[in-house]
Amino acid sequence: MHVFLHLIQAMSIFIVVAYLYCKSPWFKPLTTESLSSKDKIYLYFFFSAISIMGTYMGLPVQDAIANTRAIGPVLAGLIGGPLLGTAVGFTSGLHRFSYGGFSAFSCGLSTTIEGTMAGIVHLYLIKKHRSESIFDPRIAFAVAFVGEVIHMAITPVFSRPYADAVELVKVVAIPMTVSCSVGAALFVSIIRDQKNTYDRIAAVSSGKAFQIAQRSLNILSRGINQQTATDLAKIIHEETGVGAVAITDKEKVMAFIGCGSDHHLPGSFIASPLTKQAIYENKVIFIDGIDNQYVCPLSETCPLNSVLVVPLQIDDEVIGTIKLYEPRNTRFLNINKSLGEGITNLLSNQLLISRYQMQKNLLLRSELKLLQAQVNPHFLFNSLNTIISILRNDAARARDLLIHLSMFLRNNIKRVNDISTLEEELDQVKSYLKIEKARFEERLAIEMNIDPNLLKQKLPTFTLQPLVENAIKHGISNMLEGGTVRINAYRLNGSTFIEIEDDAGAFQGEIGNGGLGIKIVDKRIKALFGNDFGTVLSCVPSELTKVTINVPMEAS
Amino acid sequence: MIRTLIVDDEFHAREELESLLLETGEFVITGKCANALDAMKAIKKEKPDVVFLDIQMPVIDGFEFLGMIEEELMPHVVFVTAYDAYALKAFDENAIDYLLKPVEKDRLTKTIHKLKKSIDAGHRPAIYSNPEIKRIPCIFHNRIKLINVSDIEYVRSSQAGIYVVCPPGEFYTELTLKVFETRTNFIRCHKQYLVNLDHVDEIILHEYKQAEIKMKTSKLVPVSRRYLKILKEKMAF
Repeated sequence: MHVFLHLIQAMSIFIVVAYLYCKSPWFKPLTTESLSSKDKIYLYFFFSAISIMGTYMGLPVQDAIANTRAIGPVLAGLIGGPLLGTAVGFTSGLHRFSYGGFSAFSCGLSTTIEGTMAGIVHLYLIKKHRSESIFDPRIAFAVAFVGEVIHMAITPVFSRPYADAVELVKVVAIPMTVSCSVGAALFVSIIRDQKNTYDRIAAVSSGKAFQIAQRSLNILSRGINQQTATDLAKIIHEETGVGAVAITDKEKVMAFIGCGSDHHLPGSFIASPLTKQAIYENKVIFIDGIDNQYVCPLSETCPLNSVLVVPLQIDDEVIGTIKLYEPRNTRFLNINKSLGEGITNLLSNQLLISRYQMQKNLLLRSELKLLQAQVNPHFLFNSLNTIISILRNDAARARDLLIHLSMFLRNNIKRVNDISTLEEELDQVKSYLKIEKARFEERLAIEMNIDPNLLKQKLPTFTLQPLVENAIKHGISNMLEGGTVRINAYRLNGSTFIEIEDDAGAFQGEIGNGGLGIKIVDKRIKALFGNDFGTVLSCVPSELTKVTINVPMEAS
Repeated sequence: MIRTLIVDDEFHAREELESLLLETGEFVITGKCANALDAMKAIKKEKPDVVFLDIQMPVIDGFEFLGMIEEELMPHVVFVTAYDAYALKAFDENAIDYLLKPVEKDRLTKTIHKLKKSIDAGHRPAIYSNPEIKRIPCIFHNRIKLINVSDIEYVRSSQAGIYVVCPPGEFYTELTLKVFETRTNFIRCHKQYLVNLDHVDEIILHEYKQAEIKMKTSKLVPVSRRYLKILKEKMAF
């Protein structure tokens, strides 16, 4: 009984050690999915120390020691695998062996065996995809229990005199087996609980972060202004539950939500020196409200006394800040501090992306303008000349052509929407071709083969026009005997394909604006539908130039 | 009356210009051509006083075309084009005038005035200082084939016309020997032959100062006594 009580006492000390360990920074590695070799070395020292402590805190019984040494190697093996388990077991076993006594060898050996065995159980659980069971107290209990039974069994085998060994086992078997098994189980259960707490906190904070991210990204794509800043501040306020949230640019408060909003007014100049400092030095400033107090520069009755100021930046240039406050009676939670910083980083990135997108769109737009502006004096004056000539003999045809020409010009000037249907695109192309047909007469043949189901297909405005123009300008108009322009639209494998081809086969690398035209069309399709879509150009010299447009099929 | 050739690849543009010119009562239209090759033929045949020439045409544009016409046949040139990006170049080429499509009647009157003045004064049309011709338009199976000058072994003239000879065969062209002689680096070796020295293998000398050129493809080109001396000098630099 005395032995039992003593061992329970020793075990209790381990439980305290386990608890302290879980609160220490060295526990961190156990909260992650896999252990690095550095982590394993820490664990080796920790569990070896536990195990050796078990020996020291044992109770001398008949020239041997009743102890809880087995807990260390069992846990090391379970958590870290056979290598770590064996290493801890061997270290502690060696220590025990050096201690001497008639059972020294059997004790040293069994400690090592227990570590190895726990490691094998670890491997088995991993292989069965039951890694979560590693921290199951029942498994720890069972492994320690079996380990101690083996320990007791081999003691009489290796220890001499035999009778003394049997006597020893009779006294210590039950207390040691029970205390080691229970000790291992409790130790593991403490680790598991702490681990779960970590996971839960992580889950809650990443959940919040996701919520904020998801809700804010949409807003930010509209750029940052008083309205979007207010929306953003509302979201952060709701999701974090802090006392107040402010968003500033470099000079003024753009939005303020929460307590203190009666005197922290959006549109007013930044009053807080902390914010100015954060902007000026581009660094995060945190006033915890305990060691340092936030003193509101605006009002003596302001309830806020802790604040986090995080600079909002694009490309390393500070454009403003996001501020989180808590009032006097509330502690500023660490989780909100890291959330605040994380969200601001996220928003900074988002701003960078939306600025990039905006610039890209501007570029595309100006390129498009360029393309439109190229309506091309050569085409225009030749068309007018053609119509003037036709007017001599066929006024009706001349009239018809003039109407097509005005339609074409009007569309070129007035089509401001970025997206058109295939039908609208074809209307524009038909006006254009009608005029070109009059210019080139029998030198130009036109074939169209359009799947009527595709007429509502959406395309970037001015997709077809530049390509058809290329086919004529760089293709047909350079053929003495004339040629054919074909426009085909069809569905294939869930995509819509539109082909514009001519039988001149004149495309050679980048032909001036011809090349530019295709590139812009390609870029705009990719901007609208993604990089899986766009244009492909193929050319058989003197036979065929073909541009194939690939866009996602409209859901019909 | 001014004998006139109209060259423009667009049918209605030719018709319109013809109407405008005829309305003035100053012109006889000797032909209307849709491309440079037809125009070359027409110039050789009709020897017009003036050509109204479009600049942007298929295969051979207006400027390149002028470089292929020999000096004696060169008519006065009025460029007619839809777009004035070429105006400067046109005047570099010493054109008499430069008209924009659609052509305005009053503007055309000025052109006529200039033309008449020049013709009455007996001015020869300006020489077109075109750089060397790089490619020769030939007729091949009713299509136009452009042959690089550097690919041509020699040029020969026969009853049927001028032929360029290159390794794949012979091709008929509207260009004259004179044009080859003045606008390419070919050397005359015979009244009816011009040879591209880059393709010459050797000169075979016979008795009585007779000689033949052996090309790298083993084709033989006659050398007349008159040109042998010049040829030898050229070969030896």
